[in-house]
Amino acid sequence: MININGKIINKKDLLQKLEENISQINSANELKNLWHDYFGKEGIVKTLFNEIKTLSQKEKKEIAPLVQELQKTILKLFEKKEAELKKSQLKQELIKQAEDLDYKTPKIGHLHPITQTIRMLNKIFVEMGYSIVDGLELEADEYCFQRLNVPPNHPARDMQDTIYIQEPDILLRTQTSSIEARVLENYKPPLKMVCPGRVYRNEKPNKSNHFIFHHYQGFVVMEKISLKDLFGTISYLFEKMYGSNVKIRFRNKYYPEVEPGVGSDMQCFNCKGKGCAVCKGVGWIEMGGAGIIHPNVMKMAGIDTKKWKGFAFGLGLDRWVMAKYNIADIRTLLGGNLGYKYYENENII
Amino acid sequence: MKILYSQIKELIPSLKATPKEVTDVLTFIGFMKDGCEEVRHQNKKDYLLSFEVRQNRANCLSVIGLTKEVSAYYGLEIKLPKISSLPVFKSESSLDIEVKASDYVKRILAVKIKRLKNKESPEWLKEFLSFYGINHINLLVDLSNYVMFLTGYPAHLLDTDKINGQLFWSLNNDFDEIMTLDGSNIKLKKDELIIRDNKNVLALAGIIGGRVAEIDVNTKSIIAEIAVYNPSIVIKNSRNLKIITEASNRLGKDLDPNGSEFAIKLLVSMIIENCGGSIDSKLFDFYPQKYISPEIEFDPKLPSIYAGVNIPEAKSLEILKNLGFKIKSFGNKLMIIPPIGRMDVSIIEDLTEEVIRMLGYEKIPSNEIPKLEVVKNITPKNIYLTEKIRDILSTLGFDEILSWPLTEKRDNSKVNYLDWDIVSTQNSLNEDYPDLRQSIAISLINQTQEYFKKNIEHIKIFEIGKVFGKKRNNYEEYEALGILIRIFSKNRGLPMAKETVEKLLRLIGFTDISYKGSKIKPQIANPYSCWDIVIEGETIGILYKLKPQGLNQNTYFTEFNLTKLTKLLEKIHNNPIVELTQKLMVLDANVELKKDESINDFLTDIKKKIKNENIWSVTIIDKFPLKEKNRYTIRVSYKELSDQEAKEIHLDVFNLIPKKIN
Repeated sequence: MININGKIINKKDLLQKLEENISQINSANELKNLWHDYFGKEGIVKTLFNEIKTLSQKEKKEIAPLVQELQKTILKLFEKKEAELKKSQLKQELIKQAEDLDYKTPKIGHLHPITQTIRMLNKIFVEMGYSIVDGLELEADEYCFQRLNVPPNHPARDMQDTIYIQEPDILLRTQTSSIEARVLENYKPPLKMVCPGRVYRNEKPNKSNHFIFHHYQGFVVMEKISLKDLFGTISYLFEKMYGSNVKIRFRNKYYPEVEPGVGSDMQCFNCKGKGCAVCKGVGWIEMGGAGIIHPNVMKMAGIDTKKWKGFAFGLGLDRWVMAKYNIADIRTLLGGNLGYKYYENENII
Repeated sequence: MKILYSQIKELIPSLKATPKEVTDVLTFIGFMKDGCEEVRHQNKKDYLLSFEVRQNRANCLSVIGLTKEVSAYYGLEIKLPKISSLPVFKSESSLDIEVKASDYVKRILAVKIKRLKNKESPEWLKEFLSFYGINHINLLVDLSNYVMFLTGYPAHLLDTDKINGQLFWSLNNDFDEIMTLDGSNIKLKKDELIIRDNKNVLALAGIIGGRVAEIDVNTKSIIAEIAVYNPSIVIKNSRNLKIITEASNRLGKDLDPNGSEFAIKLLVSMIIENCGGSIDSKLFDFYPQKYISPEIEFDPKLPSIYAGVNIPEAKSLEILKNLGFKIKSFGNKLMIIPPIGRMDVSIIEDLTEEVIRMLGYEKIPSNEIPKLEVVKNITPKNIYLTEKIRDILSTLGFDEILSWPLTEKRDNSKVNYLDWDIVSTQNSLNEDYPDLRQSIAISLINQTQEYFKKNIEHIKIFEIGKVFGKKRNNYEEYEALGILIRIFSKNRGLPMAKETVEKLLRLIGFTDISYKGSKIKPQIANPYSCWDIVIEGETIGILYKLKPQGLNQNTYFTEFNLTKLTKLLEKIHNNPIVELTQKLMVLDANVELKKDESINDFLTDIKKKIKNENIWSVTIIDKFPLKEKNRYTIRVSYKELSDQEAKEIHLDVFNLIPKKIN
């Protein structure tokens, strides 16, 4: 109780009433109006302080602290309510601005499986310090055959039925070795290159063969190079591609641009070497050709064969890609049948 | 080449290796296994082994040749077939043969045999030929085929009673066709190497015999000939006439003329032994330039250098000796002479390969990654560029396709927009697709149509590949990027295409991108929606809307010349990074341009008037169409200038009076 000039203020009732009023307030404006009822010119608290001024010094000393404490309590109630209101307001605002995830992600794009495979191979070789080069698809006979030790009417030309643009000089390249021939001519050793690319053969397309397919050629020219280096490189490549359990074998095989020539086989993944339809009963799948670059190839490029030696390898990419992506028909790789399905949640936007 | 295991055993009696081991050995030393089939031969279990003979080893298209490889590998002695009674060619009469096409003939051996009794072949011979897929005809013909499979030398028999006058080896000038032994009527094109008499064409030399002088069961007298030709003429004729035979396969490789003597002796002795008869002529031997095997200086260190493992000199020489090479020593020099049949060996590297392949590639370790020296990276810029483009476009939702660069005849005329001619193929087996594409558009449109067929309608695809053309007799090709968009919404296609173009170019590093009406508009383009894409004043591509024909609704195509882009990229060094030390001065200006005036050109002029270091941005923030003009609000943000300096420049470049400044 506070007695000012005979006016009895029941502190408890006053605060209880205020708490009731405050509890009914829902906005900052209402709070402001209530605040005026207490702290305005004629507000309850203001009036009490005005009345204190009329008291004696003794009474002031006694009453003033009680009023100040009351003021403090009331202010706290207002502050608490103000904080509550702010919090509630922010919540309302956030609710108003709220969004949901009820929309779909646009379809992402996809790279062609041939591109993905080339990238995988490029990564392996770039890490080993190889450069990547490309070249002409419309090639001169000189670079596609002659500089690769395949002179006109050489029996090796039987192996590569050529699509000619201007027979016998201009053709669609039958092998990416043509890039090797041009690089050897234009750059000085030492060299480490890989050249992925498209090649052409004069064939009617069917399920297993196409007139367009993809080669991955690589070659190295150094002062010291051997079949051991070549085998190590190819083994490393196959292990990277197929895992460390892959079984590989090397055998002699004729290619005009290399000598000694090498055929590299991987044990059939389907039958583990026993022989099946995939490997045509052989137990091994031919993965590509390789060898030590033929001295004639080096000499035609003006490279001193006493100082420099090189190895080269070539892989056919299409069958790898077909096996990896479960594609049964080679024509799918270069035709309308290759599609990229939608993933979960993808949509057209 | 097929070979029975029992034949190998017969020629190498001491051979212990199983059929599988023999197959593996031959595969490893250069003859890839094609098959290993259990068969019945002369009522016994046997194995028919078959191998690929890719190399220039005509001698290995024979039982003896392949068996020599096996004997050399195991170091075992080979016993060549016995010629029971060596024929004696002591007749006085000479054969009347003239070789007119001597440039193409390396050697002809021929002999006349008379008083023969031809008949059906015995069962063993019929069975033998059946393993090679050859029909038995009669004893004489079948023996000639037998000798071919045994020795690798194709033999040819002519019935002398059916020959008119003299025999000639000549280039064809007179005959339009030949009926071959298999009954085919072959149209001749002239200049084929033929065997003829005074009246008829008797054979396509090196390929197949003709019907005129064929051997039948009544044949009494024959000329047996074994010839070796220049392989190029055999390959050429075989290709041109589209005839591949056992003979052309062998004579299309380098057969050693020196080996044909053994073959003819074997043939004649077998004929006389089986059909009776006697030799009725001297041996005709046309051999204008005797082949002499080269003497090759051998460095015994070389096999070790090539293999990367130590191969002792003695081992190398043992291998060469087993293969039949002669070895001569002159002081420190070792001279090696290849045996008969090894026309493929002429240089030291050939000898090196012989040593290493016979040693076995499995002796060379393959589990060591070579530590090769670091070399200069010469990867051209276009490789990096195309990879970056693929990443950008796939991120923007485009799928990559790869397609045929060969197109139908009419396709290029629809899509070409460059000043060049079409490149056509001369001999493509796919005659429906004779031309090389001049634009990627055709590939992407074809792909779109395939997708439609499969009910895929929303299409965002791209392809990076070569396009081809011909200018003033020069063939040209460059790498192009084609992008095709087809979406449902009528109004979103072009903005999406333009946005794609600009996002792509900006992410690559270009900023100065503009468009102008195309000079040459492709037929399939809507001529009113077709623009050249220009960077730094250079046209680098095209963007157009397809005419709404057929399925090409709401379809937009863009193509870039990536070769040009790569070169441009090398010139441009953009650096958008700046250190901002004071606030930007942002000033607007309204300008009115006639409808046909380009706002881009206007902005380019404005930018030229302001120092580059003072421009943060020049943007259009509003466009309002008037009756004959457009009004644009241009906002320029100046950097590193005071308020006053910026205002002065702004007034100046826009020719404004002060009150108009916002």
